Amino acid sequence: MKQKRKESLEKSAEEKRKSLAKLLTNKGLEIYEDIEKGKFPSFSVPSRSVSNIVYDKKLRQYILGPNASLRSSRNMSQLRSFTQLMWLAFFANRLVNEKKSSTLRDIYYSSQAFEIDFEDQPESDNIIVDLEAVLARPREDLHIFPEERSSVFGDLTIEYTVPGYEGKRSNLSDHPDGYLIGPSLSSAELVDTSAELVIAIEKGGLFTRFVEEKVDKKFKAIIIDTAGQAPRSTRYLLKRLHDQLGLPVVILTDGDVYGEHIAMVIKSGSANAAHLRELTVPDAKWLGVWATDIEKYKLPTIPMTESDIKRISDLQKDPRYQEGNWKKQLEVFKEIKRKAELEAFSKYGLTNITDKYLPEKLELAKSL
Amino acid sequence: MSSKETFDQISPSEFFYRNRDLAGFSNPTRSLYTAVREFVENALDACDQKGILPDVHLSIKAVDPEQPDPKPYILTVKDNGPGIESKHVPLAFGTVLYGSKFGLKQARGMFGLGATMAILYGQITTNKPVYVKSSSDGKIQDEFEMMLDIQKNKPVILKHETRETSKTGLSVSICLEGDYSKAGQKIRDYVYQTSLITPYATMTFDDPKDEKFRYTKIVRTMPPAPTIINPHPYGVDVETIKRMVTDSKFSIPTVDNKMIEKVRSELGLKKKDLSHTEIMDRAKKRWSALSRNVRVVIAVMSFLKMDFDKLSKVRIDDIDVSNKKLSYWDFGESKSFTIDMNPDSDYYRQLANTVQGEMLVSFLTKRFQRVGRTTAEKFVEFAGFKPEKRIGTMTNQELVKLSDSLLKFPTFLSPDPSCLAPLGEEPLEKGMKAFFNPDFIAVIQRGASAYSGFPFVVEMGIAYGGAIPPGGTKVYRFANRIPLLYDEGSDVVLKVVNETDWTRYKVKGDSPLVIVSHICSTRIPYKTVGKENVADRPEIERELRLGLQFLARKLSSYMSKRGQAEMAKKRANLYSKYLPLIAMFCTELAGKKKEPDYKKMLKEGGDTIETEA
Repeated sequence: MKQKRKESLEKSAEEKRKSLAKLLTNKGLEIYEDIEKGKFPSFSVPSRSVSNIVYDKKLRQYILGPNASLRSSRNMSQLRSFTQLMWLAFFANRLVNEKKSSTLRDIYYSSQAFEIDFEDQPESDNIIVDLEAVLARPREDLHIFPEERSSVFGDLTIEYTVPGYEGKRSNLSDHPDGYLIGPSLSSAELVDTSAELVIAIEKGGLFTRFVEEKVDKKFKAIIIDTAGQAPRSTRYLLKRLHDQLGLPVVILTDGDVYGEHIAMVIKSGSANAAHLRELTVPDAKWLGVWATDIEKYKLPTIPMTESDIKRISDLQKDPRYQEGNWKKQLEVFKEIKRKAELEAFSKYGLTNITDKYLPEKLELAKSL
Repeated sequence: MSSKETFDQISPSEFFYRNRDLAGFSNPTRSLYTAVREFVENALDACDQKGILPDVHLSIKAVDPEQPDPKPYILTVKDNGPGIESKHVPLAFGTVLYGSKFGLKQARGMFGLGATMAILYGQITTNKPVYVKSSSDGKIQDEFEMMLDIQKNKPVILKHETRETSKTGLSVSICLEGDYSKAGQKIRDYVYQTSLITPYATMTFDDPKDEKFRYTKIVRTMPPAPTIINPHPYGVDVETIKRMVTDSKFSIPTVDNKMIEKVRSELGLKKKDLSHTEIMDRAKKRWSALSRNVRVVIAVMSFLKMDFDKLSKVRIDDIDVSNKKLSYWDFGESKSFTIDMNPDSDYYRQLANTVQGEMLVSFLTKRFQRVGRTTAEKFVEFAGFKPEKRIGTMTNQELVKLSDSLLKFPTFLSPDPSCLAPLGEEPLEKGMKAFFNPDFIAVIQRGASAYSGFPFVVEMGIAYGGAIPPGGTKVYRFANRIPLLYDEGSDVVLKVVNETDWTRYKVKGDSPLVIVSHICSTRIPYKTVGKENVADRPEIERELRLGLQFLARKLSSYMSKRGQAEMAKKRANLYSKYLPLIAMFCTELAGKKKEPDYKKMLKEGGDTIETEA
């Protein structure tokens, strides 16, 4: 059964690459023909303005509305950014074909070889998001990665597809510090696992504790350090683990409003990436630390700041926080005006969180 | 009351000596600058008056260059003007309040007063004489070395020489205490701006640091000279009217032997005697050729019925025109006589005119500008006088009433601008072109207008781009061809410039822009004694505003054209940079070998490309 699943996976990865290549070629052809006809080429770029970001209840994530703007080379003030977008498609096409990866910063510098003048990296980053929106593909598909890295540990065998490592396999429990979730891991095929669960955890310190306490074995889990707000590559991996390997995903964060939102972004995406699908795990579950856990487990707390409280009020306007536990926890946070970190469990011994809290919450999660 | 006060009269020189701050000689810095101005402006005015294209050479040299400021400087100003007649030189430069500039017309300085002040100041601070070289005939040059006797207000000539020369002109050289390190910038600005507004003059300046500034003539035609004219009714006060009345009425001449000789000579009776009747006959025949005084004597003789012999033995005591009586003293009989005058006689009218002055209506039409007979009659009615009222008989109160009514009468025509001397559009434009070398220039001379009875004309110019450095608008202000260098903050021109919404005319804040304004008037309404800023009279403000709006509209249409050209150029540059890149990228993306033909798009681009976002 596992063999069969793997085949289908390979097929989908290859299909995906092919369809992207086709998409890029078609865009190129469209523009080529426009110029041949003496017509000024243009791109239709979905609008990412706040007014065009809406929450889709069915998809359970933020998506872009129907508004799009025309980026036309006929318009003098858009000519430069049109050319930048054009260059990026051209450059990404090379990356994909040559199976090379690049960082956001690389892109900024690579542009200079083609006399594409990005004023600064934010400008090139912005064009990258434009291209994601035009193609409706995440930049990782285009082999463009951010600097930020998070880690993964557990019994999961992968097979690399990056040049020089093709066919080579690794097991992600081989190294106790975990594996960086970088371009090679993101593009690797997920081959086999004995795990039955994925635990995403907000903090590197706790990630190390979980490895030391063999949480992977005790709970048959793959452990992922999101290093704060989960990067896209991490969210993409979470989604693949869930969709391709059928593993449930649970999330552990600090007991504050930011922690709650880290969990929410893994579950249903961010407004920043509303133009992208495939980055969300709608079935993911937030285990804690809940506001109600603070009282229940008698955790040492620190008072909230003004900005913490403002953040609660902001999130209370978000459609995803209008019901259930999400709504309730925000209300309790607002009421107690205190927060607790994951490390707070250390008050009751270093292993208290893995021995007592985690099993109890996992049990509870079954009924969520 | 034992204290004893003494009352002394002081001479005008003494007065100015004690109050020299008033005339701008308060400290070495200001004094040096003021002295330069007084001499340069006198030189230019003198040339203007005679229609001579001015060559003015200014030189300032330190007596001892090593000495720190303030220190004595020798200031010399030389011109090619008409010079001053030898006999007037000592008085003109050695007496305060002696001048040739009295009269109602536009001139840079007033009365030539300042030059004497500068000489006075030089003498006070260095005790050195003034050197004046003058030639008014172009053949002989008079050279004077003089000092002022301050208490007596009299020149003291130390030396007077003459030598041959080939041209007219005046050169004045004084030694005075000054501070060039502080006044230098102001003097250089003054010379620069003066030559800007006097493009028909050559000006040079050799400064104490041996720097030489040369501004040569840009145009070779002089603007028309102003003419001296009568005052406008709105522009006079009671004192002025009193003086005008005195001027226009003649007193009864003393009938002495000298006067009788004059009468005889005008009647052609040098050698022979005639009887009374014969004299009257001859006078009637020659009436139109007789001088006013002689006519009066004849009129008196007609009532006295005397011949010359008898006339020489009496003294006229009173001519009472209103009671038609004439009284005289007869030396032979040692007795006073009074006779009646026949009011129907022509001679009676002659006497009445002389003693009582003109009738009000003719006084108004003859002595004021823009007042015709109809206006004068309407005014007299408005003011509540009889038309035949004689001005000589007016009391003080009546004069005040006349003066007030002149100001209140609503329908006098606006003042005659022929007493003004604007520079003219062409010389202004040429001057600005030569000075600023701009990409765009426009000038305007507004029609004459008036405030409070004083005529004025506004001239303005605007220049943009070219050699003008960016960094905002520079305003050069002039009044009667004098640059106004300081206190610009509160000036009416600055007010008008600042209140203009330049973005409406497509001008950005730091654009390379120069505005020149020139206000000409018989009286510039300065705000302060310093005479550096013009008050915001609504009439003047309005003219400035209209002038500036006209220029700004012209600039605006130039800017649109320039903007379009720049836009087209920018567009061409952009497309020739980016289109090849787009072609290259899409070729590889599409997997093609040959690039699409984008060149035709570069050519036709101009028409179809949108320029707005």
